[in-house]
Amino acid sequence: MIDTRIKVLVVDDMSTMRRIVKNVLRQIGFSDIMEAENGQDAFTKLKAGGFGLVVSDWNMPVMQGIELLRTVRADPDLKNLPFLMVTAEAQKENIIEAVQAGVSNYVVKPFTAEALQEKLEKIFAKIQAVKS
Amino acid sequence: MLVDRGYDANPKQSDTEEEVEKNSTIYAELAELTKYVEMMTKTIRDMETPVASTSDQLPQATKHLGDLAKLTEEGTHKVLTITEEMERRRAHMMKELLALKGGVSAEQAKQVDGFLDHLKIDEQYLMNIHVALSFQDLVAQRVAKLVTILNEVQHKLLKLVVVFGLQQKMMGKNKQAEGRAYEMLKQLEVSKTSALEQNLVDDILSEFGCS
Repeated sequence: MIDTRIKVLVVDDMSTMRRIVKNVLRQIGFSDIMEAENGQDAFTKLKAGGFGLVVSDWNMPVMQGIELLRTVRADPDLKNLPFLMVTAEAQKENIIEAVQAGVSNYVVKPFTAEALQEKLEKIFAKIQAVKS
Repeated sequence: MLVDRGYDANPKQSDTEEEVEKNSTIYAELAELTKYVEMMTKTIRDMETPVASTSDQLPQATKHLGDLAKLTEEGTHKVLTITEEMERRRAHMMKELLALKGGVSAEQAKQVDGFLDHLKIDEQYLMNIHVALSFQDLVAQRVAKLVTILNEVQHKLLKLVVVFGLQQKMMGKNKQAEGRAYEMLKQLEVSKTSALEQNLVDDILSEFGCS
């Protein structure tokens, strides 16, 4: 069961993608959604606190998604934050790199609303399992 | 002594023959080398026009690729705005129908449920449109990669231009030599400022009685 009350941060350098992901998240039921243009911008917002999920692109200027993931996992306050990577990078080595960096799940662009929902359900099921 | 001289003279003669032979070999090699240099000079001369015009055109072509990504981004935002509005209206209609359902007969409530089902399906269609628009991000990423490649090619061509001094030689040459790519780039450039808005087109059409 997805907890739609949490605050979500959508990270992508393309404004169209941020808008698309936000729309899909709204359809799933999320209402508290914020945006960031790159990893650095995202990290600043995450440090301000209150976020329960990050949905991030990989390829971004300033700070890439994978670097953001590593920075988040290295931060004592954010290390357990669910992190979903939504990216066009679909090479095996990318996926392995993301898994090794501690990604919660991985969606390949172009994606469907169902695929995104399914991955979010898996993330939240894992969180529930750890809690119980 | 004579013998000595003869002995001395003979090797000198053979030295000369050897030298002549050596010289003729060197001359033959020099002739080959000259031919090669001539051929290379001709090749470089043949290369001048395409290299110089390509190095001129590449920055423009790169800029147009950037414009292409921008145009698809703008178009995607327009479609998103429309579909978001449709989604707002659909959600509002669902709310209204649900409110209406409470105050109607069982028969009519069944009909309302039918409408609600249709609206629920429309929600999925709208979401599929949203998600399908993510193609724009993929286009933009590929364009960005192409721009990087073109920049690198341009950099290499510029090196050639500088090394062979092609730019100066090209200055006075006929621009027609730049070919089809030059013409297409010119058209693209012109189309950015000369493409008429629909209302202007309509005005012109109405002037000719075609509106």
